[in-house]
Amino acid sequence: MADIQSKQEASSSTTFVSNSIFVCKRISYLLVFASARSQKFQCNVRILDYGSVKPIHTLMGLAIGSYHGPTDLSFSSAQKLCLHLISSAYQRCRLSEQICRLAVILTRSSSSHPSLKISISDTGIGSCLEEFQDLRFSSTDVADNWDGVLSLKTTGIGDTEIHNFQINLKGSGSSRITRLTPNTKNGAKFSGSEVCMYSFVSLDLLLADIHTFLQKNVAIQLVAEDCDVPESRYEKVFLTNECKKLPMSASNLELLKSGIEDYVLKHGNNLSNKCNSCFPSWEQRKVGSGEACCTDNRLHIELVMEAAIVISNISMQNTTCFREYGNKTEVLYFKDFSPCTISQSSVKALQSIDWKTYGLNLGGIVEQDDVTLLEWENFPTDTHIDIVLHSYHKQYPTTIPAPRKMSPLVRNLVKKAVKLSLDDLKANHPQAFLSSRAVEIRSYAPDLAKTIAGLILSSSDLDFQGECFSLLGLQSQEVGTEIVENCIEERIVSVIEMNDKKSYNSQEPAPFLFEEDPVEELEFQENDSSPLDF
Amino acid sequence: MEGKRTRFQSESQPQSVILLTKIKEFTRALLADLTNGRSPLILIDRFRSYCTLSNSNCFCASDLPCGKELLTLRRKSHAHRLAVMLRVMLIVQKLLQENKHSSKRDIYYTYPSVFLDQSVVDQAINDICILMQCSRHNLNVVSAGNGLIMGWIRFSEGERIFDCISSPNTAHPVPVHVEEVQDIISLAQYILVVEKESVFQRLANDQFCNANHCIVITGRGYPDIPTRRFLRLLVENLCLPAYCLVDCDPYGFDILTTYRFGSMQMAYDTKHLRVPEIQWLGAFPSDSERYFVPNQCLLPLTAEDKRKVEAMLLRCYLEREVPQWRLELQLILQRGVKFEIEALSVHALSFLSESYIPSKIEGKLIM
Repeated sequence: MADIQSKQEASSSTTFVSNSIFVCKRISYLLVFASARSQKFQCNVRILDYGSVKPIHTLMGLAIGSYHGPTDLSFSSAQKLCLHLISSAYQRCRLSEQICRLAVILTRSSSSHPSLKISISDTGIGSCLEEFQDLRFSSTDVADNWDGVLSLKTTGIGDTEIHNFQINLKGSGSSRITRLTPNTKNGAKFSGSEVCMYSFVSLDLLLADIHTFLQKNVAIQLVAEDCDVPESRYEKVFLTNECKKLPMSASNLELLKSGIEDYVLKHGNNLSNKCNSCFPSWEQRKVGSGEACCTDNRLHIELVMEAAIVISNISMQNTTCFREYGNKTEVLYFKDFSPCTISQSSVKALQSIDWKTYGLNLGGIVEQDDVTLLEWENFPTDTHIDIVLHSYHKQYPTTIPAPRKMSPLVRNLVKKAVKLSLDDLKANHPQAFLSSRAVEIRSYAPDLAKTIAGLILSSSDLDFQGECFSLLGLQSQEVGTEIVENCIEERIVSVIEMNDKKSYNSQEPAPFLFEEDPVEELEFQENDSSPLDF
Repeated sequence: MEGKRTRFQSESQPQSVILLTKIKEFTRALLADLTNGRSPLILIDRFRSYCTLSNSNCFCASDLPCGKELLTLRRKSHAHRLAVMLRVMLIVQKLLQENKHSSKRDIYYTYPSVFLDQSVVDQAINDICILMQCSRHNLNVVSAGNGLIMGWIRFSEGERIFDCISSPNTAHPVPVHVEEVQDIISLAQYILVVEKESVFQRLANDQFCNANHCIVITGRGYPDIPTRRFLRLLVENLCLPAYCLVDCDPYGFDILTTYRFGSMQMAYDTKHLRVPEIQWLGAFPSDSERYFVPNQCLLPLTAEDKRKVEAMLLRCYLEREVPQWRLELQLILQRGVKFEIEALSVHALSFLSESYIPSKIEGKLIM
């Protein structure tokens, strides 16, 4: 506390200093990590040993994972609360639209005080108290490892002071939040928050939880070290998409798209680098994305649903890589930038999508290991689909209305976002996403092309042949039967794909210009009389 | 790419050259659509010989198309039909360039896996005829004639001479290349069309044409195209009355209407295939009483027979052109019985030749 005070008085820094530095000879444990979004975030990793600091900078990507977070705001353990607070800090960074830093520091000071200090700090927008009003601590176990008290320091960019609060999650009513003496900023312009709590949770247990939480995150650096034990340093790095640097102005949807792409290339982030066996070429991957928004004034929410779909063609030579779910499609689900379990309304939305319009046949949706999987019928063995859904509220803080009112809204948004993703894929790769009907029509293209070429080449009129070659853009000199056939076939396929794009945007022209269908009469005639064998 | 039936042809060019030009125009238009990124749209006129609309002024008698069918690359059935039609068109192009002929069956067996069924080839040939505004024989697609002819007539087909007069009770095959028939000479007084070969042979055996100066033709059931074309040629050139003798049952009646009004399947070419002058000589349902057909020779109508009669009663041309035929058809339905022509021979083997046919013609018992 004194350090913060002194730095503010000296005006030596315009960055919110979140770390409380303990003056002591030995720092037992130090864990620093951060999650961030692309170049907008930087992680400063500090190894404190007798006051020395070694900064490490890492560019981060969008957090993606399948952690099953809480669907409400009641927590049964300090560990889960910790993860929630990290998510909230992340959102505050996102909303600031500036380069931010998010840091989590786990410190055990000395053996005389065995509690672990957990500090989660960010340089995003300041916190508001509504965020903490809804927090609940549901455990009544007398052996719980936490006293239920949070310390909060926060300030907005326009504030003149740093607010101090003590929040007792076990309390109720007016005794829940206690205002402490604020600190003046002396005119400095910055914003940020720090949440601290003391717990008797095991450092190893918390580290494991955080590691699981970040397992499928992108661009995380996780470092832990016990200074008492030499060679005990633990470090794991999740790198961002190495081959595709997104610009600073990249939208959430573009970041989501890049994240899922990276996730697929690294086999669910089980690898540190792209798998070159399965993906020798960049051209074998197709990505589509879509976004649907809904503003509901009655519920006072503005909800965004993002979807990204990756279609991969795995190299057939590779049989060594383990595919965790085989040919099934894993659906990753995020809510307000945190991984969580997919909602039932989203599952129903996926079931109601007309997949056949895109040449896909959904066989069913199954739950396996708490993961939602889509099964496909008549699916090529070298193709794989990955889907990620992300819903978030545009406004902050997040207030959650009654789930019953949200279900129809979410279902419509999921359906629309996924459909837009599929349309995006189809627009860029029409030959791969023809509807089942168009695929059937396309099967006639080789025969049609061959016959049309035959009509041209077998004609005894050389002028006619010349005209046709001219239409096809062919020189008479280079003419061979196969060249002509292939050229015509390409044109036919192109027209079929064009028709398939149009067919759901406009009405197909009526096959008969008169109301009566003469084919029916013809069939009647043929059925009614004996077959004519001329 | 619309086929219009404008019936003025340049006589200075042979038909095959005209058709080859049309095939090239069709191919060029199709290719232009594809290369310009337009989805081809092929319009095919639809024709019919009758409708079943009641109490309405239809246009079935006008030989005009009753609608258009659009073939596109938006439906699988259309794509298949187009593929078949183009393959047949390619074969036709070769036939015309090399001046060869082919039967429908020949065409089917060139690509049986694509065509799937001979009726598919049939439909394709019809589509091409409509698009090219021509008849089947113009495409050099022919079928072996199934009909027979005998009587007081002599004609040539190409180099071949058919001298029926020298032996008027000897059967000759109906010519296949009717367009090559020339030098028709006849001493006949009428043309008799009989449904069945058995009746034809009965008349030949009775030396029918010795006593009756006529021409006898049979289509042997439903008549094929050469038989119908040839009959029309005779009626037009010889200006003779034509009578039709069929069984007194739904199928005989249907064959009678095919001769007079044409078939639905060949409705696009009906003006070349129908004989509107033909009259119904028999057998009428009332003939069973007039000529004392025993009851055991009267067969009950089957359920299928009744359905067919009821369907035929709805055809517009019966009420419009031959209401008397329609009354007889209703009589068949009311009585619930049918009989064959051969039933009239119950009294004498040569009853048809010596009594029935002459008395019908002399007594004007014809509709």
